[in-house]
Amino acid sequence: MGDSARLDRRRLLTAGLAAGGAALATRAIGAGSEPAITEIQDWNRYLGEGVQSRPYGIPSEFEANVVRRDVEWLTASTESSVNFTPLQDLDGIITPNGLCFERHHAGIAEIDPAQQRLMINGLVDTPLVFTMEDLKRFPRENRIYFLECAANSGMEWRGSQLNGCQYTHGMVHCVMYTGVPLKTILQEAGIKTNAKWVMPEGADSSAMTRSIPLDKALDDCLVAFKMNGEALRPEQGYPLRLVVPGWEGNMWVKWLRRLEVGDMPWHQREETAKYTDLLANGKARRFTWVMDVKSVITSPSPQAPVTHGKGPLVISGLAWSGKGRIKRVDVTTDGGRNWKTARIDGPSLPKALHRFYLDIDWDGSDLLLQSRAIDEAGFVQPTKNELRLARGENSIYHNNGIQTWHVKADGAVENVEVS
Amino acid sequence: MSKSLKALLAAGTLVLLAGPAFAAGDADKGAKVFKKCAACHAVGENARNKVGPELNDVFGRTAGGLDDYKYSKAMAKAGEEGLVWTTGTISEYLADPRGFVPKNKMAFAGLKKDDDVANVLAYLATFSKDAPADTAADAAPAEEPEAKMASAAEESAAPATAGSSTREGGVHGLGRVATAEEVAAWDIDVRPDGAGLPDGRGTVADGEMIFTEQCAVCHGDFGEGVGRWPVLAGGQDTLTRERPEKTVGSYWPYLSTVYDYVRRAMPFGNARSLSDDDVYALTAYVLYLNDVVTEEDFELSKDNFTEIRLPNEEAFIDDNRLEEPHYADKGEPCMTDCKPDPVTVVMRARILDVTPGSVDDDEAAGAGGVD
Repeated sequence: MGDSARLDRRRLLTAGLAAGGAALATRAIGAGSEPAITEIQDWNRYLGEGVQSRPYGIPSEFEANVVRRDVEWLTASTESSVNFTPLQDLDGIITPNGLCFERHHAGIAEIDPAQQRLMINGLVDTPLVFTMEDLKRFPRENRIYFLECAANSGMEWRGSQLNGCQYTHGMVHCVMYTGVPLKTILQEAGIKTNAKWVMPEGADSSAMTRSIPLDKALDDCLVAFKMNGEALRPEQGYPLRLVVPGWEGNMWVKWLRRLEVGDMPWHQREETAKYTDLLANGKARRFTWVMDVKSVITSPSPQAPVTHGKGPLVISGLAWSGKGRIKRVDVTTDGGRNWKTARIDGPSLPKALHRFYLDIDWDGSDLLLQSRAIDEAGFVQPTKNELRLARGENSIYHNNGIQTWHVKADGAVENVEVS
Repeated sequence: MSKSLKALLAAGTLVLLAGPAFAAGDADKGAKVFKKCAACHAVGENARNKVGPELNDVFGRTAGGLDDYKYSKAMAKAGEEGLVWTTGTISEYLADPRGFVPKNKMAFAGLKKDDDVANVLAYLATFSKDAPADTAADAAPAEEPEAKMASAAEESAAPATAGSSTREGGVHGLGRVATAEEVAAWDIDVRPDGAGLPDGRGTVADGEMIFTEQCAVCHGDFGEGVGRWPVLAGGQDTLTRERPEKTVGSYWPYLSTVYDYVRRAMPFGNARSLSDDDVYALTAYVLYLNDVVTEEDFELSKDNFTEIRLPNEEAFIDDNRLEEPHYADKGEPCMTDCKPDPVTVVMRARILDVTPGSVDDDEAAGAGGVD
């Protein structure tokens, strides 16, 4: 990670608070006029750069701290590791392509699309090979889905550990995929009657594999080649990845090169040794595919402190469920004694992120902020303690418990757990 | 020693190779590339040997030349035969570690891009007294012929395609029939019932030799794991403890998964380099490390593979999350006066602040992980 990406959180926070204080002070003086207005600024006098100075546009230099970040102690190497989406800096429901969190098991495969092939074999009438051009001749669809790593919030099972929703909840993103329904491709090869499972395989040097029930494969999975309108990014599987809506991110195999159809699951490493949920009694759940109803307040949060003092405050967050749409999000400011229903704004799509807001008049006192999502299937986001009671603390995966942020009088925010 | 290395040494051209092709790297960029190396190598103040040797003053160092680091036999021999690390030899080595010094123990596939090599050299040079001046960070970038070609290619930057044709049959008539050879090349998966196992065999003793050579650098000689690399053995009876050790012996349900995974993805950074017999031998050795088999002459083969059962197979259950109390009732959640007393904070992240950028994170390693 570059220096700009390793901005000291405390420094950021302190700087933010100081800047906020200064702004308040300026306002308080009142009579003074601001040089930003009274003096002619450079951008107001001189010409800026022309077209084509940035053939592929990038964000303003003033947004340089809005980047993915990693947690170095988590993994033995950066090639088999993860980084996190900066949720605290984003709004709406679509994640910009360059900010979608990364999770690789053997680094980023760089694949020439001319060398890309997708094979279908196993229990099919005709084993087939497709080029990228072949795939782009099938009828295609556009759909918006969230992708969440099963281990998102996994570091919080034993309690508050990381100060920032980027780290606690940043293994999620949401983009619009363009691709061909997996059903279309399977039908092209012809599925034999005894087929029950499909196994996608990646072309990277981890050759990622997972077993997916045929029902899911025929339901809503896509073989995607675009995200947010442009080609998949290399770190998201360019030129081809599987989309498995609502199910854990590990199954969305990147650099997709093969689909095998079979009559029983393969019990691959990523569905036995990993991505199984160890319970307190030593038993372990396997095939825990669905990502349950979940939400988090993205601002204020530890990396996005309140810098403006009391008065109007926008509480903003994200909610999602692998079972469909989000029906409602409730927000509490007193640690869960009393709740208010938040306003969901923007599209409400099944298995996609939802953006919610609660606009309050902050009196400057301490807040214990939580959000609680309810999906259209009627499931209510549980508390972390409810999850621990049912599962223990060794599950790693599928922690969708309610998150608490402590907003202090000075606007600083901390990751806490409450009584 | 590889032919190219022999040729280099014979010709005595090592120093001459420190020419423009390797010079003029960017140390800052090199620092980023070095993150690929940092899992195993330290450089800079207080650098110590880790999985690999520390790299301060590596320029001018004889290969295998640190007294306090245990090198592979191959690397020690290369040093005895005269290999000295210079801009030229480090470049060659980084581009193809196993080709340049065969059988050395660095489990890294190599840096594919010349720029990456040059930049890492520039970065390492900042920690070496004897580095040639033109490797240093502030040298003016030499114009590389390749860069010119690249910019020329950019003018017609439409990606190449492999074309498309139609065929008889199917719904849309797209794609072509896969050949048996193609299917065999990619379809290497193995199931618990033994489907997919190739012919072959290997003993525990064979496996130990391969493991020591190719696996122990990360997994430890006895599968105990080096640093944060996966532990492969032990951990029995830890699954209900605060820090469960999930190994092949304590956790994995099926042996077929070991064979399948090693064959498709190991060694890390050099996948698909082991023979089917090698994988049988390694699988046998992992069984031995976990006391599932106890004889060093035990031979694992396609014929006896499915007779082996792992101890934890019965502990796996299907997804029953919906039976958990918080999901089962599906009641309308409380909205007012939901807790009798004012809420208090019972735990704070700052007690164990392992957030990147926080004061203590250099020393701290938090709990849990994405594994």
